[in-house]
Amino acid sequence: MSIIGECFVAFLFGSIVGLLVQRSRFCNTAALRDAMLFKTYRNTKALLIAMMILTIGFTGFISIGEGKSMRFDVGFNQIIGLFIFGIGMVLAGACTVSTWVKAGEGNFGAVWALLFTFIGMFLFSLVWSFMYWPPAPSAMTGEFNLETLQLGYANAETLQENTGIPAIFFGLLQFFVLFAIYKAILRKENKQHNDQEINQQNTPA
Amino acid sequence: MDFFKKTLDPGIALALIAFFDIFLFLIVGAWTVGGGETMITGLVAKLFIGDAINNIPFWQLVFTPDAGYWKIYISLGMFFGAVVGAVASKEFFIRFPRRLSEWIMITIGGLMMGVGIRLAFVCNVSTFFGLTPQLNLGGYLSVIGIIAGAWVGSIIYKKSLGM
Repeated sequence: MSIIGECFVAFLFGSIVGLLVQRSRFCNTAALRDAMLFKTYRNTKALLIAMMILTIGFTGFISIGEGKSMRFDVGFNQIIGLFIFGIGMVLAGACTVSTWVKAGEGNFGAVWALLFTFIGMFLFSLVWSFMYWPPAPSAMTGEFNLETLQLGYANAETLQENTGIPAIFFGLLQFFVLFAIYKAILRKENKQHNDQEINQQNTPA
Repeated sequence: MDFFKKTLDPGIALALIAFFDIFLFLIVGAWTVGGGETMITGLVAKLFIGDAINNIPFWQLVFTPDAGYWKIYISLGMFFGAVVGAVASKEFFIRFPRRLSEWIMITIGGLMMGVGIRLAFVCNVSTFFGLTPQLNLGGYLSVIGIIAGAWVGSIIYKKSLGM
């Protein structure tokens, strides 16, 4: 596909996402924060539904050699980086998606968050240019490397190659784990609902 | 139109997004936001500092500023889709954070998001909607990181609200 074609497809996809997220008020930050702080799971359940569908879809296509998987070495920088990101998104009250969506609704706080995300990225680019860590894509080997704290590259494709078992099998395992978490949330919500009803019945008029 | 009058169930919205993300995965690659934002950062920086950006190795070895990078257009599309949704549902209005503490939290939060994305090479979208569904080891490491970070962030948020 041509570069213009790729950009057009990406823009079309982004537009659909922006519209659906705006209309549903979905927020990834709320999916984690609300579950931890307020024990409400509206966004968490939506996140799990998407992950279940994607797991089956991606691993299904990977099984037949289709799709463009993300290929890069992973390591401890993922844990540290997303830890910093996780704190940041709760403080900013928005994640990468909701900053764009809220900015599109006229929320200047989201525009400010986006601006400082860009500044944070630029500042990190200066730091990276001194320490050269994590390794640049061209320096990635795909192998375990203790010196650079990299664990290599592993995903559904490599699982399929190394075991000879179709990726969809492992995808189904992950699907059932996600489904079990989803069911546990539903049970918890039902219990909360029942407890509320009992409390209301016991409250004197 | 009813779609613009009522709030859509996020479960339905995310199921639809997942469906389209599978098509995107087949055509160009799974949904991600951090890469596009980094490229926008590089392009904006180039606009301000010109060729001096070539003296910063990161912008040569990791991300070479390129306006034809498809991931940029996912972000621009999200903004466009949100404007359409907000205007059509009469939910578009300019608003500003009211308290100084909100400005400070957003500023620090934004900076941390930017640093975190670049350190990890992934964002929350790649974590939940790209890497983990591809059973990528990086996805699991990122999930551990983001849950721990959100937990610490929630404690700070709770204290800031006086809860």
